[in-house]
Amino acid sequence: MTGLKLSNVRKTYGVLEVIKDVSLEVKPKEFVVFVGPSGCGKSTLLRMIAGLEKITAGDLEIGGKRMNEVEPSKRGIAMVFQSYALYPHLTVRENMGFALRFAGVPKNEIIKQVDAAAQTLELGALMDRRPGELSGGQRQRVAIGRAIVRKPEVFLFDEPLSNLDAELRVHMRIELARLHKSLAATVIYVTHDQVEAMTLADKIVVMRNGLISQVGSPLDVYDNPDNMFVAGFIGSPKINFIKGVVDGVSKSGLTVVLPGYQDAKVTFATKNSSVPVGDSVTVGLRPQHFNTTGKMKFKLNVELVEHLGGESFVYAGNGSGDLITVATQEGRGLKSGQKFDAHIDPAKALLFDANGQRVR
Amino acid sequence: MAQSSGKTTLTGWLFTGPALMLLTFFMVYPILSSLWMSLQVGKGMNFSFGGFANMWRLTQDAVFQKALLNTLTLLVVQVPIMIALAMLLAVALNDPSLKGRALFRTAIFLPCVTSLVAYSVLFKSMFAYDGVVNRFLEALHILDQPIPWLSDTFWAKVLIILAITWRWTGYNMIFFLAALQNIEPSIYEAARIDGIPRWAQFQKITLPALIPVVLFTTVTSTIGTLQLFDEVNNITLGGPANATMTLSLYIYQLSFKFMPSFGYAATVSYVIVVLVMILSFFQFVAARDRRRP
Ligand SMILES: Nc1ncnc2c1ncn2[C@@H]1O[C@H](COP(=O)(O)OP(=O)(O)OP(=O)(O)O)[C@@H](O)[C@H]1O
Ligand SMILES: [Mg+2]
Repeated sequence: MTGLKLSNVRKTYGVLEVIKDVSLEVKPKEFVVFVGPSGCGKSTLLRMIAGLEKITAGDLEIGGKRMNEVEPSKRGIAMVFQSYALYPHLTVRENMGFALRFAGVPKNEIIKQVDAAAQTLELGALMDRRPGELSGGQRQRVAIGRAIVRKPEVFLFDEPLSNLDAELRVHMRIELARLHKSLAATVIYVTHDQVEAMTLADKIVVMRNGLISQVGSPLDVYDNPDNMFVAGFIGSPKINFIKGVVDGVSKSGLTVVLPGYQDAKVTFATKNSSVPVGDSVTVGLRPQHFNTTGKMKFKLNVELVEHLGGESFVYAGNGSGDLITVATQEGRGLKSGQKFDAHIDPAKALLFDANGQRVR
Repeated sequence: MAQSSGKTTLTGWLFTGPALMLLTFFMVYPILSSLWMSLQVGKGMNFSFGGFANMWRLTQDAVFQKALLNTLTLLVVQVPIMIALAMLLAVALNDPSLKGRALFRTAIFLPCVTSLVAYSVLFKSMFAYDGVVNRFLEALHILDQPIPWLSDTFWAKVLIILAITWRWTGYNMIFFLAALQNIEPSIYEAARIDGIPRWAQFQKITLPALIPVVLFTTVTSTIGTLQLFDEVNNITLGGPANATMTLSLYIYQLSFKFMPSFGYAATVSYVIVVLVMILSFFQFVAARDRRRP
């Protein structure tokens, strides 16, 4: 099986640098997801791996071989596009077998492979239709089938589910996860939907402005974000950021004053407390980590409650500062204007320095 | 929507009324009137009902038959060349790696909006026996003696074909360009990843998307060439020896030259109408067969 390696890869359009020095290693059979806000360069990076965009500088290796100048069709990859990109005038069967026809595969072998892929994706009844006669979900399955038939070493997906409705998206997500297991192939998957990223990935690559911000397993980037950007991007609802100032540094940790909350003082246990007294810091609190017993307490008033059925999101504030989002199971009775005390264990808090880098 | 009361019907008629009146006056009336006229015989303003006499005259009229043959020859040779050329140019000008595409597109489109008379005069002088075209070809040693573009029956037809192709290729190219730009670029990217050779991409992705445009441009160009008048009247005047006489030019000459023979001219017009109908019908049938194999 085949892995993939990017070393100091760059992409420039004229003077605009879109990918700035990206290095990444993808292990064989790994499901890697690129996430990041719109325009951060996810698609560009994927298309460079596919060979659809030239690599301005750096090296791309697939299966240990340098692939920078190799034709897309000879890289052992297959790609699934957001817009499906099916051949509109060919039937589903022809779409899936088209590549094999030009790869010198004998006719009966093509039929066998296309039928096998059709079976896996339950496309049997649609084989003689044209793409125009299929629903969005069916088209996406055909596009995946077209990729499977070529038996690539690496699958590339560029936001394959974003044109589907919410229900179908969940369904296809599960199918994709199953497919990855059964094919045992390497997958690189681009999305800006962090739920897709969290649920599908073995390894998440969070990108920002053409740079990799952090690489790690889904739970790793959730629990231990390297910086404020990753903390803010991963997790839903979004993490709460509260401004504070370092008041004291001791062996037990950093003591931080929260000016927005009556100068409340909290001590966070840290090993390396390199932040000097007087520096501003940001405290990150996940909405899910609030409870009724934690040592850190915020006296708030409810502004708005979103009931999702099982869980409720409470948006509460104290008049100064931003609203704090709290995810709670016991929010049914809450109404806006009501008093609301949010507790949290300081051990759960994330601490960032003035540059947004993680302190703790 | 079942309740189309008298009042809403009236409103509908009031809205469409002016347009219908104009259409009746300027379209329906002339069509019927010319049909009636085609049954009249006589010269100048002296008409009398002749029944099918004009049609009989068609079968005896050598000039008409020559014009019909010329028109069909021009049609069969010129339309396919022009459509193929328009498609080729569109595909070439749609290639994103080509520099200065906008300039080329404009340049190729420009002929169909230039003044007809100006370009005819220019063509006439360029293709004169001692004109710039012959001089140029001689200078390149492609020819050892000049081509008699305007005085030879064969070369005159070639000249007319060159002229209409020059004038209308860019116009038709625009339709092909529009169709090409409707093809999603990621389909070609998928084909590159699939390793589909360029010719197969053209055959299976590009060409099918262009078929409706081929039909459209063929029908409109066929109708245009059947009515060909401007170039032959301005460049060759139907000559030499009626070698470039077309049906439309003949109609014009029958009506406005010598003793006007309006009835017979109307009959010849109806020959064009019937030809347009027959050819368009066949082209649509052919297109339908292609779409559903
Ligand atoms: N051909 C191009 N010429 C110039 N700039 C480009 C070109 N293609 C992309 N870019 C720029 O590169 C940046 C990254 O684009 P890219 O499509 O990779 O973003 P993305 O992360 O996939 O975003 P999205 O989530 O919206 O798809 C963008 O700022 C975009 O404007
Ligand atoms: Mg993208």
